[in-house]
Amino acid sequence: MNLFLRKLRGVFLALVAVGVCDALAQAPDAIARATAEYQAGNFREAVAHYQSAIDAGTRNAALFYNLGNASYRAGDSAGAILNYERALLLQAHHPEARANLHLVQDKARALQLRSTWWEGILARATPNQFSIALAVSFWLAAFCFAAWGLAARRSPVLFLVAVLALLASGIAVGVLYALETGRHGQAFAIVTGEKVQARVATADNAGSVLVLPPGSEVRILSTRGDWIYAALPNDLRGWIPAESVQRVRL
Amino acid sequence: MEMKMSTHFRILILGLAFLATVGVRPVLAAEPRVTAVLSNSETDVGQPVQLEIQVTGVSNPKPPGEIMVDGLEIQSAGTSRQYQMQNFDISYSFTFAYTVLPMRAGRFTIPALEVQAGGQVLRTPELILNVAAPAGRSSNAGRGSSNPNVDPSQIGFVEMILPKSVAYVGEMIPAQIKLGLNMRAPVESLGAGIQIAGQGFTTQKMTEPRQTIENINGRSYQVFIVKTAISPARSGKLEIGPAEINPVVRVPRGAPRNPVMPRGGPFDDPFFNNLFNDPAFAPSMPKEVHLKSEAGTLEVKPLPPNPPADFSGPVGTFIMNVDVSPKKAKVGDPVTVTATITGRGNFDRMTAPVLANENGWHKYPSSDNYKQDDDVGISGTKTFETVLSAKENKQSLPPLVFSFFDPVKETYVTLRSDEIPLQIDGGAAATATPAQTTAPAAGNIPSAAPTSTPPPPVDDILPQLDDRTASQSNFQPLYAQRSFQLAQLIPLLVLLGFAGWKWRQARANDRELRRITRLQQEAAEAQRNLHKNGSSAQEYLAEASRVVQLKTALATNVDANTVDAETAAAAFRLDEATRGRVQRLFAQRDESRYSGDRNGNDALSAEQRRDILELVENLRG
Repeated sequence: MNLFLRKLRGVFLALVAVGVCDALAQAPDAIARATAEYQAGNFREAVAHYQSAIDAGTRNAALFYNLGNASYRAGDSAGAILNYERALLLQAHHPEARANLHLVQDKARALQLRSTWWEGILARATPNQFSIALAVSFWLAAFCFAAWGLAARRSPVLFLVAVLALLASGIAVGVLYALETGRHGQAFAIVTGEKVQARVATADNAGSVLVLPPGSEVRILSTRGDWIYAALPNDLRGWIPAESVQRVRL
Repeated sequence: MEMKMSTHFRILILGLAFLATVGVRPVLAAEPRVTAVLSNSETDVGQPVQLEIQVTGVSNPKPPGEIMVDGLEIQSAGTSRQYQMQNFDISYSFTFAYTVLPMRAGRFTIPALEVQAGGQVLRTPELILNVAAPAGRSSNAGRGSSNPNVDPSQIGFVEMILPKSVAYVGEMIPAQIKLGLNMRAPVESLGAGIQIAGQGFTTQKMTEPRQTIENINGRSYQVFIVKTAISPARSGKLEIGPAEINPVVRVPRGAPRNPVMPRGGPFDDPFFNNLFNDPAFAPSMPKEVHLKSEAGTLEVKPLPPNPPADFSGPVGTFIMNVDVSPKKAKVGDPVTVTATITGRGNFDRMTAPVLANENGWHKYPSSDNYKQDDDVGISGTKTFETVLSAKENKQSLPPLVFSFFDPVKETYVTLRSDEIPLQIDGGAAATATPAQTTAPAAGNIPSAAPTSTPPPPVDDILPQLDDRTASQSNFQPLYAQRSFQLAQLIPLLVLLGFAGWKWRQARANDRELRRITRLQQEAAEAQRNLHKNGSSAQEYLAEASRVVQLKTALATNVDANTVDAETAAAAFRLDEATRGRVQRLFAQRDESRYSGDRNGNDALSAEQRRDILELVENLRG
């Protein structure tokens, strides 16, 4: 019985491995086909192939940038903005994506969320950089406290360094929290539907709060059924049909 | 005495007579009787008649049970009681009322009915009812289809009140519709509601009816008042109405007209004609009644020609307030302009105010919210929110313009807000032409540092990138990735190792310190003993050599018991003379320890002791 189970497990693992390898192997083909379709002017087909590469698990800024370009060429400004934002999320310093994003946002007249002054300052670094800063400062504080606590002669300088490092790690935690809950945080989303209106209640005939052009930025606050409650570019809040909005983070 | 007896006897006789009068009369009056009558012995199919069973002379009669006659539907309509007391004579009268509804034509006999009264069983006489089939109506018509001839004007009325007869196209004219229903015709429902007939105008949603009771010409009416507003859609003479409604009321089941009631009088209606005027006793049925008002006429004038360019159709009287938020923003950031228009008129034709000068602004579609102040929605506040984004630096928001037609002044009015100061910066200086979006040219990737020469304006996206060699990325921030979290185990393990090492070091240091302390204490004690005179030569030599061993152990970190003269000499780098003295000390100690009592106190002089003490005390590392 045990032998049978071991064989069964082996077969299962082999199938999973084959499936994963197959999916990863398909991604380069899909990207190559997408590139060929794009160069041939078949932008919708290019979008489909890029999307299949993403569905297969490929994640890199260049891929999302190219998908954004293909979406824009296919007439989907909202899709273009969404994918440029994704490219910038994966690689904050991606000048091509940023330039194209500004261009398409301007053309689509997409509304953008307003950044606070501290978000403008914090945007100079990425969450990954703050994550590293957090880890380094935290472990430095831990080592300094350990050395100070176990030393025969306790050095005040060592204690000061430990406190400062702990303070730095606390600041890093705060910054990470602010970034993750801020404009470009986990709740950052793009309006992909046409003629989307944010409303005061979860009903199609409820009063309108704001008309959101495609590609507009919103921040999802909560979800109720087929509706999401979102922070809007004009500092108001409203209910938007869930199918009209896509989160930037996959 | 005889006189007294006679007086008492007379009083007794009078008392007995009184008691006989009071007590015997009710007994004599309590002779129960029962009668039964029909209100009419001739009737038609569907025309009910009343059956009354009257019982007198008994206080608690029990009415007959269910009366079953084939072809007749007989239902109880209630019981009335009457008590009368006159000269201590109480009379009772009970009337049991029934409604008899003929279901078919024929001659029917209502059998004798049994009434239990005062322990007796009384029987009513048999009654005969002749039922004829009505002309033009089927004899087997159901109960619900019986249709009494009711004059709608007796049921109720509808009035439509228009406050003016001349208006402009698009003007909102409040209207009030009054529906009165006779209190004798209880309302079951108002049907589909009030409809205003006519063409060329629109009607606002009607309010929920407000109910009152009014007395009109001696009759009580339940009055429903409904408000709405009418807006003419074209000019000319319009006929408004009539207002129509089909309420469902309960009407009596076609009781014959009471000949007692004078014709044409205020009581000449089906309700008062009923033999039993109280609706509680009168049988009734629901009936839909068609009521309508008289039509009104409205002379509608067209709006004057040459309206303002931004006029979208609002007619009325309005005021406007404008605000903008935030007052400080960057170029491209959205700012929300809120225009609040308050007043009275056709808010449904109202569109958002427009910017007097849209140059340098992106304008997005407006959203609106209307809050009405009255029941029909012709008075209220409409708030427009328009998102703008500046394409260039701005110092103020241009005025907002809103035009409407004022039917009172009979002219167009244009409201113009003040310029609102705001600060929008961060972009290029204001130019006459709209700013173009700038993006780096293909293949010319801009650096993060600002350049002195702006890149040339382009109007297309940058080309594709080679994404085949790009490394795999992750949307999750580093701190949320499993690999990063697992990597923290490395510094954690290093920290644990470091802490363990430091702890072991501290413990070792602590053990060495305790050993040194112990050795120092023992050496000091031994030196103190050397200063004492009471010890034997063997003890003195042993103490002195022990001090040498302890000092050597402290200096060289070796076990004190293993120290000999050579070790001590090497540890303290002694010269030959001192080395010889140490060697002699250790030799003497060994000699005294192993030679027994032969070497006693006398074997070690005081001078020798001082010499040994000096040697020991001068040993320093």
